[in-house]
Amino acid sequence: MTYRPLLALFVIFDCVFAISFCISGSEASGSDAEEVIAQGEAVFQKLCQDCHGAGGQGVQAHYPDPLTGDLSVKELAKLVIETMPEENPDACVGVDADAVAAFMHERFYSEAAQVRNRPPRIILSRLTAEQLRQSLADLYGSMGRPVGVESRRGLQGRYYNGARRKNDEKKIDRVDPVLEFDFGDQGPGEEIDAKDFGIVWNGSLKINRSGRYELILRSTCSCTMDFGAERRVLVNNHVQSAGRDEFRRVLYLTGGRAYPLEIEFSQRKRKTEQPPAKISLSWIPPGGQEEVIPESHLIPVEMPSSFALQTKLPPDDRSYGYERGTAIDRAWEESTTNAAIEFSQIAIDELYPNYLRRHGNDADGNRGRLRAFLHDLLETAFRGPVDESIRSVYIDRQIDQVEDDGEAIKRVLLMMLKSPRFLYPALDVAHSPSRRAANRLALTMHDSLPADDWLVKKARQNQLETEAAIRNAAERMVEDYRVQTKARELVYQWFDLGDLGEIVKDSEQYPNFDRALVGDLRSSFDTFIDEVLWSEKSDFRRLLRDDWMFTSQRIEAFYGDAWKSISGSGSSSPNSGGGLNRSVRDSEVHVGLLTHPLLMSHLAYHGTTSPIHRGVFLTRHVLGRVLRPPNEAFTPLNPTLHPHLTTRQRVELQTGEVNCQVCHQTINALGFAMEKFDGVGRFRQQEQNQPINARGSYRSRSGQVFAFDGARELGDFLASSKEVQRSIVEATFEHFVKQPITAYGDQLAEQLTDSFRASDYNFRQLVISIAVVVAQHSPADVPSGASIN
Amino acid sequence: MSIHIERSRRQFMRDLGIGAAATQFLWALPSLGAAPAQHDKQRVVFVFSPNGVIPKHFWPDQEGEHVGLKRILKPLEPFKDQLLTLQGIDNKIRGDGDGHMRGIGCLLTGVELFPGDVQGGSDTPAGWSMGISIDQHLKNKLQADPNSRTRFGSLEFGVLVPDRADTWTRWSYAGPNQPLAPISDPYQMFDRLYGQTHNRAVLASVIDDLREDFRKIESLVSAEDRRLLNQHVEMVRTVEKELKTELESARNQQDVGHAVPQLPPNVDEGNDNMPKIAQMQTELLVNSLAADFTRVATYQITNSVGNPRMRWLEIDEGHHSISHEPDSNESAYENLIRINTWYCEQVAHMVKRLSETPEPGGDGSLLDHTTVVWTNELGKGNSHTRNDIPFVMVGGGLGFKMGRALKFDHAAHNRLLLSISEAMGYPEQTFGNPDFCGEGSLTGLV
Repeated sequence: MTYRPLLALFVIFDCVFAISFCISGSEASGSDAEEVIAQGEAVFQKLCQDCHGAGGQGVQAHYPDPLTGDLSVKELAKLVIETMPEENPDACVGVDADAVAAFMHERFYSEAAQVRNRPPRIILSRLTAEQLRQSLADLYGSMGRPVGVESRRGLQGRYYNGARRKNDEKKIDRVDPVLEFDFGDQGPGEEIDAKDFGIVWNGSLKINRSGRYELILRSTCSCTMDFGAERRVLVNNHVQSAGRDEFRRVLYLTGGRAYPLEIEFSQRKRKTEQPPAKISLSWIPPGGQEEVIPESHLIPVEMPSSFALQTKLPPDDRSYGYERGTAIDRAWEESTTNAAIEFSQIAIDELYPNYLRRHGNDADGNRGRLRAFLHDLLETAFRGPVDESIRSVYIDRQIDQVEDDGEAIKRVLLMMLKSPRFLYPALDVAHSPSRRAANRLALTMHDSLPADDWLVKKARQNQLETEAAIRNAAERMVEDYRVQTKARELVYQWFDLGDLGEIVKDSEQYPNFDRALVGDLRSSFDTFIDEVLWSEKSDFRRLLRDDWMFTSQRIEAFYGDAWKSISGSGSSSPNSGGGLNRSVRDSEVHVGLLTHPLLMSHLAYHGTTSPIHRGVFLTRHVLGRVLRPPNEAFTPLNPTLHPHLTTRQRVELQTGEVNCQVCHQTINALGFAMEKFDGVGRFRQQEQNQPINARGSYRSRSGQVFAFDGARELGDFLASSKEVQRSIVEATFEHFVKQPITAYGDQLAEQLTDSFRASDYNFRQLVISIAVVVAQHSPADVPSGASIN
Repeated sequence: MSIHIERSRRQFMRDLGIGAAATQFLWALPSLGAAPAQHDKQRVVFVFSPNGVIPKHFWPDQEGEHVGLKRILKPLEPFKDQLLTLQGIDNKIRGDGDGHMRGIGCLLTGVELFPGDVQGGSDTPAGWSMGISIDQHLKNKLQADPNSRTRFGSLEFGVLVPDRADTWTRWSYAGPNQPLAPISDPYQMFDRLYGQTHNRAVLASVIDDLREDFRKIESLVSAEDRRLLNQHVEMVRTVEKELKTELESARNQQDVGHAVPQLPPNVDEGNDNMPKIAQMQTELLVNSLAADFTRVATYQITNSVGNPRMRWLEIDEGHHSISHEPDSNESAYENLIRINTWYCEQVAHMVKRLSETPEPGGDGSLLDHTTVVWTNELGKGNSHTRNDIPFVMVGGGLGFKMGRALKFDHAAHNRLLLSISEAMGYPEQTFGNPDFCGEGSLTGLV
């Protein structure tokens, strides 16, 4: 874990206003400054408002221009003293002039005030890296069959007597949970010649997170592996050759996608000695360590062919807490070229040959099939029908310049995928409302473009014009791996685990807290999110209060009895892949994800807990309050200097000053409630031979004070808090839409929170409602008479 | 007299720095080391054709200077002075694998195959070769020396090599159990050689149309949003300018003799396109040598047991099927002569193209500094013998004394592999199975 070397002490504020004041108010304290401004406001109302308007916007009959500029407060005051009011400049001098200048400067005159006052708006954005990956995957997919969600897990295995795998010699047809077999000299089953057999495994690899994956196929016998598409060979070990039995391949895979795979394995009869038959399929997932690919990532059916972009894309701006495509730089520009070239190659290698197979009988005069193929791609990439003039520039003009079909495809795709019409999804203003609705639904829910036939058909037939119709489509689209991935990422971010790196702890204090254990914790965390959000009720509050968790033998061994598997330990077979089970119930130890060891160990130091990190996380993320960093950075007190103090006592000692207490009374009081969970998230009753004091409290925005003792009471409070509900609604909106929620209306957050409450906190319904709002939103500030051509 | 220039460590690092800073685009241009060469460049190209030959119409009757070439070698007549035939060299490798498998798998490696599960028509099953092949051995040596290092080190061309990896389709090995797949698709090879430059050129040619569309789109967005779009167009314009400079300098390079070859469009890898593909690959090969992308190459026509149907010669049956016919089958015998003559024509065409291309920064032609080694998996098709393996060399890369027919008395082909390594400047005690290297490299070649 890369934990912060400097302890941040925080000041709490509820509005941006006050922050700017605190930073600039070096002379006057916050309340003094407020007083001056209030004074100034009174003066302004009395002497200035009639000519300049209440907000300084100007009055047509007197002074129509808005009062804006870049004078400092003092300069502005001087101007007022000397010139204002026009009819009697002496009426406003001295303290009054200073006050009115401070007021104007703060509320509307200065550049900063103008930015603050500008209503938040929907900002034109290019595709983010993830949206580009997903869009290209769907552009590829639009030429094939649609992807479905499959709940079964494992790989379909077909076992044959005889390495030639004749159909009538098939002896076993079953789902294998994971691929890890050592058949030795015995063969895989009855009626199968141990010296002469063949197995084919089919299925798909489900990827939850985008990133770099290393796939490792080990086989002592002949084996081949197709991955991503039929006959897209990843491993070709058709020849078994002594000593060659490990095949490693690194791929960048896209989250929310399932990649079809087929593995053929043959033990061939021969005159010479045979090696014992052994095969396994492992991986190293991003940030993880090598393991046999767990059952939860294997699907026993082959999903449609899929394209995973390998081009490296630069990271997007995340300064607002969600990724935004609002920066244009050289690295990004170049990456779009490389991505387009990579895609054009797969189009040449796979899409066009497949297209020709399907359209072999179409007329081909003037390279008609090539034109039709590219036209289909163009309409998908540009998210709607294209007219003659676009078609002519993007397709005909390019095709006519080269004889070679592959070259023509490369030209057209390079131009198409670097076009703003593809890179900026919001440039679809001239399309029909139904088409735009489909585009927004796909972008919001899947980070992608509409590619499924049914959705494109609805758009084409103008069947997405009413809220009911859009909701209906959104309900269909929510059952999708891509939504699951987006939701999982959101929960990670909301729980402050968005940038989770390696977690390393003091190995003397916490022996056995290793990478393997952290890997299990991560799986446990992921699986619980999926379990809650994709259950029928999809009740978000369970993330904050359920009294059980997913566990593994390793987790149980480290964390103790509360982490026992409900079905008794040792029940999971070695082949169950990761071996996650439900734990027993324990309402003290398990408080949803709040007390999950992944979170507790992340929000802690190398050796000790950090009530401040935990408190800041609860204040900012869970309760959605605004905090600003302290004016000074502090190093936490070294525990060895105060060997008899508990962590709580040490934190109280360091943050006891009045100035710190402004914020820390909130932060500490929340963080202390988690003190029964040590630096790795183990439940404890004592520290330094003193019983843990886990009492805490919280004062809400409306001034109500809530007290709690320990994480259980805290979790129950948070799960019922309206502030928390609103916080998750806003976070969900911004994560899915990548725009500020207020840009869609002042009341939207409140309305969505109300409907979230009315749905019993159904998370999937929330995502649907958000997508429906966005899909119905019509672009407001488009110049009239805009035409797509 | 050769002047040995002591290169300081700093100089070396500086050279590396240039290499590291150069964009990939620059790498597509003649290698930086092409400047003042301290030694003459030496190049070697290994050409494979399958199923043995008809010895009677292949080997010269007499040792010494060529008097008249036999039917199959006739196409090489114009290059008689630079031609060396080596008869009496045997592939003596035994062990696992049938004759065809060992014929190709041990040809450039000189070592046995691993035990495995690929069963041929006879003998025991086998896997991949236990050792590195001579082309890769030379590549490693050349790449280890900054003076001979090139962009690729080696290139593996194929002509209609089937799209499957097995012992019969691989002859080049990076090491034990590490077969290298040849690239049989000329467009794919073109991409590998010139892809970056070419893609930049394609980008340059569509960017103007793209900018035009940006302008139309401006009307779709509000004034505030236009700022982002303008920034984007500005970026595109910068790229456009840079591309222009880049491509101009590339064109200048081409003017000094490194033209990017033009491939005919839409040629797919079908049997009937074999003559076209062979020529396209030759063009790419010759250009790669001229541009000093590599000094070692393999050129593999089909595979061991290769079965092309040479309909352009009006032979409908596949080569391998015919090769099993007894010598008494007159039409088969005649067809095998014609098929092998066609392979020889491909070699002759390659040699001709090399001879027409001036040696960059040196004397004579590329052929004067390149040796093409044409060889075969078998001595003769219907007997599957690996005695008298065809070894036919053309060109001056290895510095052998050419214009001769040599005959050996069952010399192990490992010794010839040793001679080739030695001629390239890397003498070795053994190559492949040491048991067959006892007498060292062949004598009488120089």
